[in-house]
Amino acid sequence: MSILPGIDSTPTTNELFEGTNEIHKLEIEKGYEWKVEVNAESKLVIEVKSGIAEIFGTELANDIEYSFYNNKFSILAVEDVSLEWRCPEIPEQKLMIGENKTAKYVYNLHFSLEKMRAASFDGPKVMIVGGSNTGKTALARTLCSYAIKYKSYQPMFINLNPEEGIFSVAGCLTATPISDILDVQSTIWGHSMTSGATMLHSKQPLVKTFGLEHIKENQDLYLATLKQLSEVVKLRLQNDVLVHRSGCIIDTPPISVMDDDLTELTTTFKEFNVNVVILLSDEQEDPLLTKLNDKLSTISSSFNLLRLPILSGVIERDDVFKRSLQRLAIREYFYGSPSVVLSPYTIGVDFEDITVWRPINFIENPEETSQLLPTQLLPVEVKPTTLQHALVAISYADRKANESNVQLAPTLGFGLITEVNDKRRKLRILLPVPGRLPDKAMILTAYRYLE
Amino acid sequence: MDSEADAIVKDFASILEELTFNSRPIITTLTKMAEENISYAQYFVDSLESRIEKCVPKQKLYAFYTLDSICKNAGSPYTIYFSRNLFQLYKKTYLLVDNNVRQKLISMFKTWMAPNESTGLPLFDKSALDKIEQFLIKASALHQKNFQSMLPTPTVPLLLKEIDKLNLLTTERLKEKPDDEKLNIKLVVLSQLKQELQKEKLTTAALKPVQMQLMQVFAQDQQLLQERLRQEQYQKEQQQLQKKQNQFNPLGDIDQQQQRQQGSSHNPLFGNSLGLKPPGASALFPTSTLLTGQDFSEFEKASKLSKLHKLYESLESEGLVYKPPKDSVVNLFSTFNKGHSGASEIDADSKKAPLPSVTELHNILSDCKAYFATVNIDILNTPSLQISQKTIVGNNEIVHNNLINTLYRSKPKKCNVCGKRFGNSLEERRLQSDHLDWHFRINKRIKGSENTLTGSGNAGGISSTSQKNIQSRNWYLHDSQWVIFKDDEIVSTSNTLDNTAKVTTANVENSTRAISSGSMYDAAKETSPNTSERAILIDENLLRKKYVVVPESSEDMSFQCPICKETVSALYDEDLGEWTWKGSMEYNGKYFHAICYYEAAKNNNNSIGLELDLEKLKNLISE
Repeated sequence: MSILPGIDSTPTTNELFEGTNEIHKLEIEKGYEWKVEVNAESKLVIEVKSGIAEIFGTELANDIEYSFYNNKFSILAVEDVSLEWRCPEIPEQKLMIGENKTAKYVYNLHFSLEKMRAASFDGPKVMIVGGSNTGKTALARTLCSYAIKYKSYQPMFINLNPEEGIFSVAGCLTATPISDILDVQSTIWGHSMTSGATMLHSKQPLVKTFGLEHIKENQDLYLATLKQLSEVVKLRLQNDVLVHRSGCIIDTPPISVMDDDLTELTTTFKEFNVNVVILLSDEQEDPLLTKLNDKLSTISSSFNLLRLPILSGVIERDDVFKRSLQRLAIREYFYGSPSVVLSPYTIGVDFEDITVWRPINFIENPEETSQLLPTQLLPVEVKPTTLQHALVAISYADRKANESNVQLAPTLGFGLITEVNDKRRKLRILLPVPGRLPDKAMILTAYRYLE
Repeated sequence: MDSEADAIVKDFASILEELTFNSRPIITTLTKMAEENISYAQYFVDSLESRIEKCVPKQKLYAFYTLDSICKNAGSPYTIYFSRNLFQLYKKTYLLVDNNVRQKLISMFKTWMAPNESTGLPLFDKSALDKIEQFLIKASALHQKNFQSMLPTPTVPLLLKEIDKLNLLTTERLKEKPDDEKLNIKLVVLSQLKQELQKEKLTTAALKPVQMQLMQVFAQDQQLLQERLRQEQYQKEQQQLQKKQNQFNPLGDIDQQQQRQQGSSHNPLFGNSLGLKPPGASALFPTSTLLTGQDFSEFEKASKLSKLHKLYESLESEGLVYKPPKDSVVNLFSTFNKGHSGASEIDADSKKAPLPSVTELHNILSDCKAYFATVNIDILNTPSLQISQKTIVGNNEIVHNNLINTLYRSKPKKCNVCGKRFGNSLEERRLQSDHLDWHFRINKRIKGSENTLTGSGNAGGISSTSQKNIQSRNWYLHDSQWVIFKDDEIVSTSNTLDNTAKVTTANVENSTRAISSGSMYDAAKETSPNTSERAILIDENLLRKKYVVVPESSEDMSFQCPICKETVSALYDEDLGEWTWKGSMEYNGKYFHAICYYEAAKNNNNSIGLELDLEKLKNLISE
């Protein structure tokens, strides 16, 4: 019917050529990778035209535009890739393209894990250890992505670094079964459940509030939170055959933030029954390797301790960038991402309507020690100086529940106190879910967010 | 009109007279004249219009091309002037010319429809173009209509005439192949039919099928004859080619030498009359191809084709060729294509299926390689996969050469929305189609929800925006819920429910019991809290489905829920044929959101001064 007029008149609006936002073509040879840094103000759009390209183990669809902002990542060319990209802020001459020397080790590791999954109903429990900027989270993300590709495994990803928010905000520890493809565009790997339709399947994380930024501020509380998490994870593994077989991938905080005895690692090792420990280090005879071996051998005899070189796609992340990721995680929790726009809900409540607790911070308030239990929560007086712009965790414990119940209660979600009016004794709280303010106790976190 | 103007217009008209073939220079000249003398636009338009009216049908197209060129180059006021009579002119021309020219007219018309780059408007007046479009749609519909209806009413003499014609055709064919039995039988059948018709007086209704049958036979014969004609033509062409070949090839070398000697100024010494032209002068016979070895292959191909034709003929005469029925797709396609482009040579060229792109071929090749690399792989029985420092940080051949493919191409079907891969097995295909359906549903929900604004009229802005798919983050699940949660609830794509997909949501109210002192994890093993969760869930889904038919007393088709103060506006329910308030219920003459009512009743919250009754609600739901 093409002879009929007006049927095939395709509009030729060429919005691709707007302003200086020029499209660049790029060929990446097999086995090479492009290290990309996009700041918060600019936007990078990538469209793979042919070949196979992946980001943290997640393959990109061809002829689909992916946009990135405030992100650092590497695109690996699994096969020769030709792609188009545009971003006015990235000069074409200064692309960081280099050979990826570690991808083959990651594949080796993945298939070894795959063999363990095939061999036993009790899948591998992998703990990834290393210093800052060694690619721990990238390795974890890649292993998770690979694990869901060949067979429909659902590995449990466990984030034990409170400075990172994965499927959640920072300041908490999470466990999330990875049941479907991760969002390559997202710095928090994708969305946790929403009430509507999302482009990719959302994930259902288990969230345990630590509330502080640094482990050193209250190590006992961190370990207690970690144990709470592991208890629930163990039950889930018992109930969920598929997740059990798929195993756990555990991402840990950088070695530098832990104590000299590596208590955090040994506790993790014990609590999650870890049987594969990966140390990311470039030193052949890293003293940490012997130290880890010594420490862990006292707990269990059957584990594999392996050293992998630092991933070649690693891009240095400074504190400013980490901050921006934490802010982004908070924003995405409430407002969603450009592709999944969420509508949070602001309510006004009286000072009397809320009860807020806070964890003890031994670095900021060293005097608060002696007679108190370190894991104990302290009541917070509702006033502007303490609560303005604060991110609070809303627990499942009733508002009037006692302190120990609050400490043990699961996390319902987070709220953001946007306004504290001392005169009228009113607060405005941003909630992710529309409706009344749940009549629950809150825990003040160390994070502030100014909209 | 002064004398100067008179001269120019006459000049214009006389040049126009010369436009008896598709001549670019003439059209350009005319366009230039029109551009330079805009003040005489009216006269030029008149003269061109009369030319289109009066000239022989074959030349009308060229005059139209002139019109097209002037309007596109000079623009206003010509476009305005021509718009007035454009439809009449176009229609008259279209009806007079043959299909080939019609096609060209349509192509030209299409360019008129395209909006101008600067103004964003079509070339001519919208109403004129609309009329033409309507006309063209009607015309082509008429063209495609079954010609059955256009056949004359069958009468015996008419049919007899047809039979005679057919008889003639068949005898013609019989002359060539006197021993063809089929043709002989056909003749016999035809004569019988003729007798039959002469003998009896059949009804018109009975005659109709006979007519159709005859038409069909006729068409077949015609086709055969055409085939033969085409073949003859082909042979002739081939002979010509051969002749040329023979003449040129011995000379080719000399010619090339000469070309070298003379450099760029090439003067053909031989056979200008035979079609040899300087390079680039002729599109049909580029000199270079005639002189190279390529031509041999052309020639070879031609002879192969003729052999094929012969084979086809012989097979056909033996009755071994399957002839698709008249209205099969194959025939329709070929007839359609015939109508599309007339010249057979160009046609053949365009029909040549283009090779797939290199990347596509590369993809196929890599997929095959991946398949063979992974076909006999068993991860469990691969010894080199034992986890150890050496196997991990080393070159593991089997991983690198074989296993790696399991992550990529051994599942060759890549979702073009999200990049997820699917294999070739039946199960995987089912998964893939479910997956695509899921993408489709999700897209529809995301897009549809952005566009559909409901609640028309006086319902107001609030309600229409509230109909958008507004979504928010869910609360996290309680530990006891999370422990028994299965991610299949999220990733299941075979789920046919869309809007009301039952995914476990956090149960805020039910939690206090579960976390009571120390025994928090026992809750997971208890079944009772879980069943009660389910019960509440089902309740809510039912509540969402509740609706109230808008009472006639309602003035603005909306009400305000007394609990959440949101204005609810009416939606038209196509199944019911009524305007309804969705998710709402009536109690004591007041209207509520069913869920608000339920929540309020559950919490026994009487602050709004209403008597809320859970029992009553239960009855409502079970209705």
